[in-house]
Amino acid sequence: MDVMPAIRVVDLRKNFGALEVLKGVSFDVHTGSVVSMIGASGSGKSTLLRCINFLETPSSGDIFIDGEPMGFRSDASGQRRLRPLSEVNLMRRELGMVFQQFNLWPHMTVLGNVIEAPIRVRGMSRKQAVALGEECLARVHLSEKAREYPARLSGGQQQRVAIARALAIQPKAMLFDEPTSSLDPELTDEVLSVMRELAGDGTTMIVVTHEMAFAREVSDRVLFLHNGLIEEEGPPEQVLGAPKSERCRQFLSKYLH
Amino acid sequence: MSDAFWQSVDLSTFWEYRQVLLAGLWFNVYVFACSATVALAVGLAAALLRVNRSWPFRWIGTVHVELFRNAPDYIMVVWVHFVLPLLLGALIGRRLEIHPFVSAVIALGFVYSGYFAETFRAGIQAIPVGHVEAARACGMADRLILRRIILPQVVRRMLPEAVNQFVSLFKATTIVSLIAVPDLMYQVSMVIATEMRPLPLYTGAALTYFAVIYFVATGVRLLSERWRNKIYA
Ligand SMILES: Nc1ncnc2c1ncn2[C@@H]1O[C@H](COP(=O)(O)OP(=O)(O)O)[C@@H](O)[C@H]1O
Ligand SMILES: [Mg+2]
Repeated sequence: MDVMPAIRVVDLRKNFGALEVLKGVSFDVHTGSVVSMIGASGSGKSTLLRCINFLETPSSGDIFIDGEPMGFRSDASGQRRLRPLSEVNLMRRELGMVFQQFNLWPHMTVLGNVIEAPIRVRGMSRKQAVALGEECLARVHLSEKAREYPARLSGGQQQRVAIARALAIQPKAMLFDEPTSSLDPELTDEVLSVMRELAGDGTTMIVVTHEMAFAREVSDRVLFLHNGLIEEEGPPEQVLGAPKSERCRQFLSKYLH
Repeated sequence: MSDAFWQSVDLSTFWEYRQVLLAGLWFNVYVFACSATVALAVGLAAALLRVNRSWPFRWIGTVHVELFRNAPDYIMVVWVHFVLPLLLGALIGRRLEIHPFVSAVIALGFVYSGYFAETFRAGIQAIPVGHVEAARACGMADRLILRRIILPQVVRRMLPEAVNQFVSLFKATTIVSLIAVPDLMYQVSMVIATEMRPLPLYTGAALTYFAVIYFVATGVRLLSERWRNKIYA
């Protein structure tokens, strides 16, 4: 038996009413590796990330975090059952999520945002959480902004706080959903360089992105999603450099300037 | 100016009875504080029903809001005090009476819960769903999200409107003299009955209510603005 992947997705399907968004997606993310996910708008990338931490309930399929089934569990008779929300919540803290719209909580300071989950969800003492929070803010180079409110920060700084907040729950893997897509071009680099450092530290990550140069540089594997299916996957040199699929080639041609 | 004019603004009688009148004013404050608590608690519950995912809950919330928001507070006070005990009494087959203070608090609390429910609902719906999803993604349970992420923001957002509603509620407490809650207006009527000089006493009551409401509301508005500005800089 080989090593258990950090995240395993097996035949994941999701429909919203009659609309089939994910049509059977399977892949593994090994511990310490970076998987980039690319694909046209509407191809189901966000839905896939959101299904992994059960912000959306998959219609069928399985997700394992370090071998532990997420969301569903088989009962004694072998029947698949939705796990109670309390168990889903326990599993969710194994995954740190970073959204396109930073989604910081505006009524809390930067540090307050970062230590909220460690205190309320992990049950840390305030002192421990503050120490951890300061460490996470240092990793995104924002130690000096700890006492500010989010509204005072630039978009790039807000997104780095969001990354620190996700790191502070000490997840097994990080999920990034187009983390630079709502940023002005001059602010994307500071976020990408923080993510590059995380990847260098061996953080397990799934990154949905349109930053092809970044994907090529940091990814171990790239998945190209098309109409709810993985159309092509492989190392970045292959998928981004010499794609076999015609659709992937067409998609990438839009990103070559 | 005529004598009648000067008599109506001569506040010496009002001042003479200041102790009993002040005691009355405190009753306005008690009724206000208790009914505001009821209105906030019931209003929040109704608002949570109105944003619930399943329609029967939403429907109950809507009925609550429309029922109480459209009930005149004057009628509600009288109805709760005189009709409700008869109805409840008939149900349990016993004579019932509700203390005037309790009737006043129930009536005003429920009428204003209709307004507060709408303010809460608007505040809750104004919170970007992303804030809640970020909290879920951190493993926070729904109750925790409500308490730590949603309500603190709702309270800040709704404060300006809530202050206006608190002012209306405080004004509405002046009708509880109808059912013999010994508030300022009630005491004023008592003094008028002995002194037979209604005009200056009504003037005094009007000025007192105005001063209390104006200074308290202005102070609260100033403080709440300062508090809000820190966040929505
Ligand atoms: N909550 C939802 N309800 C209905 N349709 C949705 C919902 N979320 C996403 N979709 C649809 O699913 C498809 C894939 O969306 P999404 O996963 O956001 O794509 P991507 O992130 O690749 O742009 C789109 O057609 C979108 O309209
Ligand atoms: Mg998306």
